[in-house]
Amino acid sequence: MFKNLITESTAKSPWLFHINSGSCNGCDIELVAVLTPRYDAERFGFKLAGSPRHADIVVVSGPLTQQSLPRTLRAISQVPEPRCIVTIGSCPQSGNVFKGSYSVMAPLSKYVHVDVAIAGCTPKPEAIMDGLVQATEILKEKRKAWLEAKKNGLKDGPKAETEQEVPAAEDIPASGEEVQQ
Amino acid sequence: MAIVYSSLVYLGYILIFPGFLFCFVAGMLITGIDRKIVAKMQKRVGPPILQPMYDFFKLMGKETIIPAAANKTAFLAAPIVGLAAMVVIQLFIPVISTPILYGTADLIVILYLLLIPALAEIYGGSASGSPYAGVGLSREMVTIIACELPLVLIFLSVAKTVGNAMGTGLCFSLSDIAAYQAANGSLMLKASMIPAAIAMLLVIPGETGNHPFDAAEAETEICEGMLAEYSGAPLGIYKLTHAIKTFTLTALFVALFLGGIGTGIVLLDALIEFAICVVLTIIFISLVHAVTARLKIEQLFKYYWTAVSAIALISLVLAWFGM
Ligand code: SF4
Repeated sequence: MFKNLITESTAKSPWLFHINSGSCNGCDIELVAVLTPRYDAERFGFKLAGSPRHADIVVVSGPLTQQSLPRTLRAISQVPEPRCIVTIGSCPQSGNVFKGSYSVMAPLSKYVHVDVAIAGCTPKPEAIMDGLVQATEILKEKRKAWLEAKKNGLKDGPKAETEQEVPAAEDIPASGEEVQQ
Repeated sequence: MAIVYSSLVYLGYILIFPGFLFCFVAGMLITGIDRKIVAKMQKRVGPPILQPMYDFFKLMGKETIIPAAANKTAFLAAPIVGLAAMVVIQLFIPVISTPILYGTADLIVILYLLLIPALAEIYGGSASGSPYAGVGLSREMVTIIACELPLVLIFLSVAKTVGNAMGTGLCFSLSDIAAYQAANGSLMLKASMIPAAIAMLLVIPGETGNHPFDAAEAETEICEGMLAEYSGAPLGIYKLTHAIKTFTLTALFVALFLGGIGTGIVLLDALIEFAICVVLTIIFISLVHAVTARLKIEQLFKYYWTAVSAIALISLVLAWFGM
């Protein structure tokens, strides 16, 4: 009984943690618009959490600069399972207008599994809301998969498959170097 | 046989009514209503009233991360100690006029028990080894000290008023206070007690750490302070303790100032108590939350030690001169 209740609640109470990885602030403002009275994401239970340990959904915006990439990955790895990663805007998907810069490390999907990618520069609040609601469904699926894995004797759930080693700052090659080779 | 029976009865008190289960439901509903009302006041749709329950159950299902720098035992024990203390207080508070557990100095016991959840949070926060928790716990300590003075003054003035009438000097027993109110009408109707009642209503949001007084848990500023490193079930228990604290403090107000309006049937009384608590929460927590911005810690301290304490002191002086 409690297991079902918890699974249902997982989709109804997603807390967000927002990481700005060098964004131009456009996407951040739209995310704030989603949370404030006009679009009021709290009606679906969304809440902005202060610490990555409280979060269920990690929202990443910005083109992942060389300095912010290791920190972003480290913050993501602090989020307890089940968790979802959502990118806002074209920046974390492709690098957008910043592509080719010596310090831009996008796309994020090269380093971690991205669950929902919301495209646009900037995406509309409606699109962000839609993406976040999709992420809550994925959270629920992940919780079910985790329960299933536990039943089959995997103690930590299917975490090991999705988890990737977090590269240290000095291990990540600058994109400028790649061009030179 | 009699021992088995009475221990079963006590177990029922602790686990079901007026202990854990009753507190759980009442606290969660009150927090849910509070969030909904705040949202309405900000022209939002707001979360469903059951949202705190969803939050709690979700947190129960999440992974619990224990930081490498943390002291594991203290980190995990603190939330449980806090919750247990919170539930015990509820046993001492009469359901309007029917006390469950009683003694000669309930008010003093409650004063100490009210400290334990906050102290447990400080203990757990400092065990987590996070700098955010360090900032949060120093602020929490100031908040406790700030709220303690007016609370003691309020309790003293109630104790003196009832004690005068009973001829015992000071009366700290909540069951005697309830009996006095059943015989002479609510204390709220006594002119000399009105300032104390107002002060108590002003203390409630500070004690529960609600919005203008939440410097210790400023989530936009210090990552929820002492809770920064918590995740999963322990975090859920902290959230539950906070929810119950709101209910406990409003119920304490009902017991102190609005006693003597009960019907004598316990379940009906519990419903009436809950309804009054909801009204008090809406006016003195939600409304205040919606219209104010967070105070700095020194402003909070000054507010409680000057304005609120002065109001409570008026009552104490009046009570001391037998009015
Ligand atoms: S996607 Fe566009 S608006 Fe968003 S951070 Fe990138 S450049 Fe800025």
